[in-house]
Amino acid sequence: MIDRVLDAARGKVDGADALWRREERTAVAFESGRLKAAGISEEAGVNLRVLADGRMGVAGTTAAKPDPTELVARARASAELGEVVDLAFPAASKLPPIPTFFDRTANASLDDLIRMGRLLVERLARPDCQVNVAVQREVADTGVGNTAGARGEYRTTGIAVTADITRIAGDDVLMVYDQYVGADMPSDADLEGLVRSVETRLTAALKIVTPPDGALPVVFTPAGLAAIVLPLEQALSGKTVLQGSSPLAGKVGETLFDERLSIIDDPLTPGRPASRPVDDECVPSRCTGLVERGVVERFVYDLETAARAKTQSTGNGRRGVFGKPHIGYTNVLFRGADGGVPHAAPLQMLGGGLIGDIDDGLIVDDLIGVGQGNVISGAFSHPVGLAYRVQRGEITGRVKDAAVAGNAYDLLKRIGGFGTDGRWLGARWSPSLLLDGVSVARR
Amino acid sequence: MKDRLAAAVTQSRADYTEIRVERTWSSAVAFRGRRLETATVSEDQGGFVRVLNKGCGWGIASFTSLDELPAMVARANELSRAVRVDDPIRLAETRPQLADAILELDGDVRGVPLAEKKKLLDRYNGAMLAVSNAVVDTQSSYRDEVSEVWYVNSEGTSLYQLRPEVVVSGTAIARRNGTIEKGLESIGLRKGWNSVQNFENQFRVVAQRAVDLLDAPRVRGAAYPVILDNELAGVFIHEAFGHLSEADFVYENPQAREMMTLGRRFGKPVLNVGDNGAAKGLRGTLPYDDEGTPTQDTALIKEGILVGRLHSRETAAKLGERPTGNARAISFRHPPIVRMTNTYIAPGKKGVGFNDLITDIKLGVYACGAFGGQTMLENFSFTAGWGYMIRDGKVAELVKDVVLAGNLFQTLDRIDHIAGDFTWNQMGGGCGKGGQFPLPVTEGAPHVRIEEALIGGDV
Repeated sequence: MIDRVLDAARGKVDGADALWRREERTAVAFESGRLKAAGISEEAGVNLRVLADGRMGVAGTTAAKPDPTELVARARASAELGEVVDLAFPAASKLPPIPTFFDRTANASLDDLIRMGRLLVERLARPDCQVNVAVQREVADTGVGNTAGARGEYRTTGIAVTADITRIAGDDVLMVYDQYVGADMPSDADLEGLVRSVETRLTAALKIVTPPDGALPVVFTPAGLAAIVLPLEQALSGKTVLQGSSPLAGKVGETLFDERLSIIDDPLTPGRPASRPVDDECVPSRCTGLVERGVVERFVYDLETAARAKTQSTGNGRRGVFGKPHIGYTNVLFRGADGGVPHAAPLQMLGGGLIGDIDDGLIVDDLIGVGQGNVISGAFSHPVGLAYRVQRGEITGRVKDAAVAGNAYDLLKRIGGFGTDGRWLGARWSPSLLLDGVSVARR
Repeated sequence: MKDRLAAAVTQSRADYTEIRVERTWSSAVAFRGRRLETATVSEDQGGFVRVLNKGCGWGIASFTSLDELPAMVARANELSRAVRVDDPIRLAETRPQLADAILELDGDVRGVPLAEKKKLLDRYNGAMLAVSNAVVDTQSSYRDEVSEVWYVNSEGTSLYQLRPEVVVSGTAIARRNGTIEKGLESIGLRKGWNSVQNFENQFRVVAQRAVDLLDAPRVRGAAYPVILDNELAGVFIHEAFGHLSEADFVYENPQAREMMTLGRRFGKPVLNVGDNGAAKGLRGTLPYDDEGTPTQDTALIKEGILVGRLHSRETAAKLGERPTGNARAISFRHPPIVRMTNTYIAPGKKGVGFNDLITDIKLGVYACGAFGGQTMLENFSFTAGWGYMIRDGKVAELVKDVVLAGNLFQTLDRIDHIAGDFTWNQMGGGCGKGGQFPLPVTEGAPHVRIEEALIGGDV
C-alpha cells in the first residue's frame, strides 16, 4: 500500500511520506460483575504527506480500496494552501531491533480474554461494591515509507486490562481504579498485583477523615502525578518551544529541577505498547534524555518542528489516518538518581515508602479535572478524587472535599523523596514523589 | 444504502440486529500563531453492527471496509453467542421509525472552497494576534463536517439522517516574563458556513482577556458565595448533575439507584433542570438517537425534586421507564451509550437579573466562562475561564485560576437564586465518556447563585 501511494506521488510532487496502519481489536466488558458484551473492530487507513513547491499538504482515507491518484490530488490541494517548510525526508537506515509483537497476545482467544476478566471480577467482588472490568487486545500492522527510500514495517500487540470498583454508601461515592497495559499478556503475578493495588486503596479509603489544611507535604502516587507531569510534557515539546509558549524555552543547560530527577523518552523499552523501531515519519527510534539530573537537556521534535528549529527530529513523529504528523511522546520515564531500572513494583505499598516522616499531609492518588485550565504555566488547582490523610507516618483514612494547588515547576525544584513503587501507568513510568509545600484547602 | 443494510439485517441469524453506517465528509483548517498548520479535506466512512440473542450478551463489530458487512453481521452474532448472561438483556419497546431526517445545512460546507475557510480563520486568528504584543501564541481551528448516517434494525426501523456541524475556536496565549495566561473562544453549531461569519470581535475579546489576566491576582482559595455566568452554569449542570442522571450509572447498581431515587429532593424549589435533544437548531440536537429512538425534552429536576433520567433502550427496560432518545455514539467506531444532548437549567423569574443576584453579597466570586469540567461521581471540578471578586454587592477586580470544586448534593442544594436571563451556549469541543470524545452537546442556563462553594487557589 505504501509503495502504491508513493509511486503515485512520484513525479507529481517534490517528495512524500506515508503511513499505513491496520488495527484489529477484540474487547470484552464486564459491567457490575457481569459479562455484558464482546466486540471486535477492524480499521485500516493511509495518511499521505506531500511537499509541492516547498509547501506541505496532507490527506488521509479509511476507504477500503483507496485510490492513490485521488489521495495524491487531495494532498496536493492541501499543499497549495500550506506553509513553506524546509523539510527533508530521512534516507533509509538500519532500525533498532526491539520486540513489539508477542504471539501470546496475538493468539489469545476470546475465551482467554473472558477468562481473564472473569478471574478479576471474582477476585475483586465484595458486598455493596460494583466491579467493572474491561479487557482489550489489539494487533496492529504499521508501514511507513518516503520518497527518499526509507521504509519501516512492524507489527505490534497490545493488551489493556482495566478494573474499577465503585462503592456507594449513602451519598458517599468511592471509586478505585487500576490497569495493566502491556504488549505481552499479563502474568498471574501482574493480575495479582492489579487486584492487590485496587484492594489496598479501597481498604484504606473506607474510613473518611477530615482533610488537613495549609502548605503540606504531599505524596503523589504514579497515578496522582498526572497534574505535575502534564505541564512538563507540554513544556518539553519542541512545538511549544517554537511557539514561545514553553516556560522551558531557552533554558537548555540550566538546572531547573531537583538534581536527582531525570526524564527520558524511550521508545526502545521492550514490551511496552508505545515502543517501536521507527517513528511515523521514518526516523529510527532512539532514547532521548529530556531532563538529566535536574538539567534541561533537550526537547522532543518531529520532522517539521525540527526543520523549523534547525535541529534534528528526535523520532517523536506521530500521525493518524487524518491530519498531519505531530509530536508525540513514546514511553516517558520519570526517574530518581539511582536510575531505577523499571522493576516489578510492590503495588500494595501505598505511598511508596515515603510517608514515614510525614507528621501531617496527604497521599494523592487521583485528582479531578487534570488537563483543564492553563496547564503549561505549571499552576494547578484540583479537588481530590482519591486521597488519603497521613498523620504521624500512618495513613489514617480517605479525605473528601479538599483541593490541592501549587506550581509543578516550583514543586519539582526540591523533591522530598522518590518512592520505591516505580511502575508503568500506560506509557509513563514513575515512582511516587514526595513534594513539600503543596497547598491543601478544605471546605 | 438503506436496502443494503436491510438485506444484511434480514440475513442475520441473531434475535436482534442493528446496523449503522456513516459517511462523513469533513474539512479542517488550523493555525498556530501566524502559521498555518493544516488545511485538509477528509472522508471517513465505516459501519457498526450490534446484535443480541436470548440469554446472551451484546455482540459488536465495527469496521471501515463496508464490503465486509455480511461477514461482520455474522461475526457479531458469534461474539454475542459467546457471551452467556444469567440476567437477560432486554430492550424497551419503541415504535419502528421510518424517516429521512435532513437537518438544515445553512450554507453547505461541502461547496465552500478550502481557501475561503482558511481566509475566515486567518481573520479570527489575526484578530487575536493583533490585540497586543503580549499575545505570543494562538491556536485556532476551523472544522466542519456533513455526516450521513444510515440506521436499520430488525424491528423495522429504517432511518437516514444528515447531520451538519461547524466549529470555530481559538485560544490566545499571553505571556509576560514567566507568567502565561490564556483566553478561549469556541463556537460550535449544528449548521453550516453561513452561521460562523462575523465573529472577529469575540476573538478579540478573549485575547484581550488573556492579556488582562497577566496582571490579575490568583483568587484566594476559600469558600465563597459564587455567581456562575450562563456558560459556566451550563457546564456545571452538565458535569455535576447531568452525568449522574445518565441511567447507565444507576441501572445495574442498587446503591446508586437508591442515591438517585426519583422523588428525592436535589435542590431548592427554584431549581429546574432538563435535557432536550429535540430543541431546534442546537449542536446537541438530533431527530433520532443512535438506536433510532426519537429525541425529546426530558425533565430531570422539577422544583428541586428529581423527576427523571436519561435512557437508552436497555437502561429503560431495566428500570421499567421509557426510552428518552439519549443513546448516542460519536461514530461508527463506538456503540451507543447513554449521553446528554442539550442540557439546561431553566430560567428563574422573568426580569430577575444579574444585579439582583449580587446585591446582598459582601464578599464573593463571579465565575465566568469555562475551560473545562470533570466529575468523579458525586465530586466535581470545573475551571472558569476568568472571574471577578464581588465586594459589597458590586463586581470588583479581575481574578484568575478560578477552580470550583465540590460535592454535587451540597452544591445543588445551595443554589438559592436563579436569574431570568437564559441563554444556550453553543461551544465546540464536546463531552467525553467511556472513551467517546468529543460528542457534540449544548448547555444552557441563566446566571445562577450558589450560597457557598469551594474555590481552589492560593491558600
